[in-house]
Amino acid sequence: MRTPAKKTSLQRPATQEPDGFDKLYRDHVDLIYRYAHRLCGETESAKDLVQETFLNAYRGLKDFRGEARASTWLYTIASRACIRMRRKRKGEPQHELSLEDFVPTSEGEFRLQIPMEGLSPEEALQNKELRQALDQAIDKLPKKYRMALVLRDMEGLSAKEVGSIMGLNERAVKSRLHRARLFVRRELSARGITNHDDHKSGGLGS
Amino acid sequence: MTKKKTAAPKKRSKPSSHRHTPGQGHCVDLLRQLSAFIDDELPSDICREIRKHLGACPNCEVFIASLRQTVTLCRHRPVPPLKSSDRVSMRRAILDAAKAQ
Repeated sequence: MRTPAKKTSLQRPATQEPDGFDKLYRDHVDLIYRYAHRLCGETESAKDLVQETFLNAYRGLKDFRGEARASTWLYTIASRACIRMRRKRKGEPQHELSLEDFVPTSEGEFRLQIPMEGLSPEEALQNKELRQALDQAIDKLPKKYRMALVLRDMEGLSAKEVGSIMGLNERAVKSRLHRARLFVRRELSARGITNHDDHKSGGLGS
Repeated sequence: MTKKKTAAPKKRSKPSSHRHTPGQGHCVDLLRQLSAFIDDELPSDICREIRKHLGACPNCEVFIASLRQTVTLCRHRPVPPLKSSDRVSMRRAILDAAKAQ
């Protein structure tokens, strides 16, 4: 799943001609859709974000000089568009996440009650209940933390790349990433996920 | 964990924050560094210190395992592929919007 974006050369003087855009779109639409889906958590919003991203890229293509990788440039446009488009999500906590909030206070909060024993991560995630719990935990993250988690742990970018996309130094990226991981861990630990022998059933067992 | 006076590299936590077991400030200090530890970004002496603590503190050992599991799950979180029809229709919509301006 960690597929670093390939280095694409757009070093020629950028033009706004359709060919330049077509190549950009063809080479990167799947990457940006995946990123958008991971950020938004559902298809329609992801498609809106992809369109907004490439529309902005179309407008900016003539100024893009290839100093950054095209993928980094598009990640940056998409991230800014995401912040603009979805500033107020219902139920999304807007506060800063404090490390103190993640110190377990009872015995049950230390571990995840989820069925992963002897399973590959892919097999474990065939459990629908686990997948939903993970999606919900990520969806509940305040956006700036979610973005750091998605870019670093799901898109597989380095902290430096994430920093350049989000306009942060590496230390700030790592701090946000750490809090995001702790948040998701806590959300998962609060859920008892049924251990299914049959991964495909995925029902909400007792 | 035992209350050894080890040379903890960064002892920044306040006594009031030692919540999960009384008197275990190391646990809170450790919490700050867990992602860096998992990502193998810490100097070897700090890693050694952490491993020593983990060996003596079952709660922290379980906690770090759960954080590793969380990161593993995030890395493998599935995402549906883009449909060919959506790829085509979005391109059309983008170019229409661009030309409309």
